[in-house]
Amino acid sequence: MLNGITIGQYFPGDSLLHRMDPRVKLVLTFVYIFAVFIPQNWIGLALAVGFLVFSVAVSRLPVKLVLKSVKPIIPLIIFTSALNIFYVSEGVHLFDWGFIHITTQGLVTAAFIGIRILSLIAGSSLLTYTTSPTTLTDALERLMKPLKVVHLNVHELAMMMTIALRFIPTLVEETDKIMSAQKARGADMESGGLMQRVRALIPILIPLFVSSFRRAYELATAMECRCYRGGEGRTRMKQLHMNGMDGVCIAVLAVLVAGLFVLNFVIPAAL
Amino acid sequence: MPVIETKNITYTYSPGTPFQMDAMTDVSIAVEKGDFVGIIGHTGSGKSTLVQHLNGLLRPTSGQVLLGGQDIWAEPKKIRAVRFRVGLVFQYPEHQLFEETAYKDIAFGPKNMGLPEEEIDGRVRRAAEFVGLKPELLEKSPFELSGGEKRRVAIAGVMAMQPEVLILDEPTAGLDPKGRDMILEQIKAYQQENGTTVLLVSHSMEDIARVAKRVLVMNKGRVAMFDETAAVFSRAEELTAIGLAIPAVTKVFMMLREKGYPVGDNVYTVEQAVGRLLPLMKKGGGTDA
Ligand SMILES: Nc1ncnc2c1ncn2[C@@H]1O[C@H](COP(=O)(O)OP(=O)(O)OP(=O)(O)O)[C@@H](O)[C@H]1O
Ligand SMILES: [Mg+2]
Repeated sequence: MLNGITIGQYFPGDSLLHRMDPRVKLVLTFVYIFAVFIPQNWIGLALAVGFLVFSVAVSRLPVKLVLKSVKPIIPLIIFTSALNIFYVSEGVHLFDWGFIHITTQGLVTAAFIGIRILSLIAGSSLLTYTTSPTTLTDALERLMKPLKVVHLNVHELAMMMTIALRFIPTLVEETDKIMSAQKARGADMESGGLMQRVRALIPILIPLFVSSFRRAYELATAMECRCYRGGEGRTRMKQLHMNGMDGVCIAVLAVLVAGLFVLNFVIPAAL
Repeated sequence: MPVIETKNITYTYSPGTPFQMDAMTDVSIAVEKGDFVGIIGHTGSGKSTLVQHLNGLLRPTSGQVLLGGQDIWAEPKKIRAVRFRVGLVFQYPEHQLFEETAYKDIAFGPKNMGLPEEEIDGRVRRAAEFVGLKPELLEKSPFELSGGEKRRVAIAGVMAMQPEVLILDEPTAGLDPKGRDMILEQIKAYQQENGTTVLLVSHSMEDIARVAKRVLVMNKGRVAMFDETAAVFSRAEELTAIGLAIPAVTKVFMMLREKGYPVGDNVYTVEQAVGRLLPLMKKGGGTDA
């Protein structure tokens, strides 16, 4: 029943993108998100989208999967595009009706915005598809380390996130099992009014809470037994290493960003 | 006519994702009314997946499940009625307790069936008696009970629905030998008194040998054997090949027979073994007695 849920949507693989240092990947993804907003002309935009297509190809993810990630935001794109189409009044007027004007300029702006949002979402989903949630928290912890200066306990935050992420699938599985067990005793979760449905949750929630607390205690004991005492002086099993390939990726993105800026000067803006 | 039957059922978890998993392939079994079937197989061989099909918790990817000759998925809306006729006790059922008292928890199933109060009361008390729960425990919170007692409450919760077919997924897992024997005896007694058809999943050949009339052996999601207990245990080598062992006593007796001792076959429990050995010792080797 809960089979459809994939947490963190990690898609295991062994591509260049999967093997990249997660810190580099995280930073580069952010840079790309900004880069999408640089181009003011069609060629620049095509280049930014081209880079994304290239990255998807390198990641060897099924294209369908990447398309699926942008599906939920399509209504948002339609909405913003529509606003732009109707409210931009510069350019050649194609259609006028009361306060609504459709102009060439409006269409161009709408297309630009739509394409930017699409690439932004697809780009960031590429990050979550190729990096497991735990690796991602690891990278975040490293990148946020300087925040120690402002007395933010980065290690504990990251540990909490890792544990939470680690236990989400366990909890989903457990919920599934408890639901099946109660259904086997004739619990009816699919019919009845709102109150009845809320009441039907009790036989699921109580065992779930009980077992979550049990798990939390067990985990805490297990951690203490292995002498866990916070992040001070702790070494890591999985060291993050940057290698030549990461350098190449950084260089490629740097060239892309520089190229986009240059293009803005050479080619007249379409916006 | 078999009371419950599967026809070429196949089941795939998470189809179309990288986590796709064919847990069960082409399983066809038929269980007669009043039978006691032991289901055994290696970890991950698909035992739990199979039993969840029998009461309609999982719907086969292909194939049919027949209850009393009727396809249980003929009317998906009425699947709840199937669950009252085929009772399933899950692995570690004590994790599903939720009511304020053990009594109320056992009454959850019968209540869902819409039975009248007196009927529910009678059933709860009878079920509690069958699993050996003392009446005073019924008023306690299930969370205050010991592990073994919780297990009994959970089993009673399904027995109280008085299903035609009772399925138990590893009811003895994690219990001490005495608790294990007691629960098995109680299940056996329940089966004999009510004529219920029972399917019992277990990892222990000893348990199965003790109670089951027929044995279903699963291997990698397929039916490896499904036959009378004696017939299955006589295929010791095949069982070993798929990572299962016949009961230790049975093995010893097979060796004795190979050495030419007239001990006979079908020995699965220590009691049986004693019964076979004593007469022999009296007859032949009474020298040092
Ligand atoms: N909810 C699920 N999602 C995906 N795969 C599953 C799920 N449940 C079981 N499986 C897989 O299906 C296969 C059969 O599992 P099943 O639980 O039926 O085995 P089992 O014979 O009951 O094992 P055990 O003796 O350990 O209880 C296993 O390989 C398991 O990993
Ligand atoms: Mg199982």
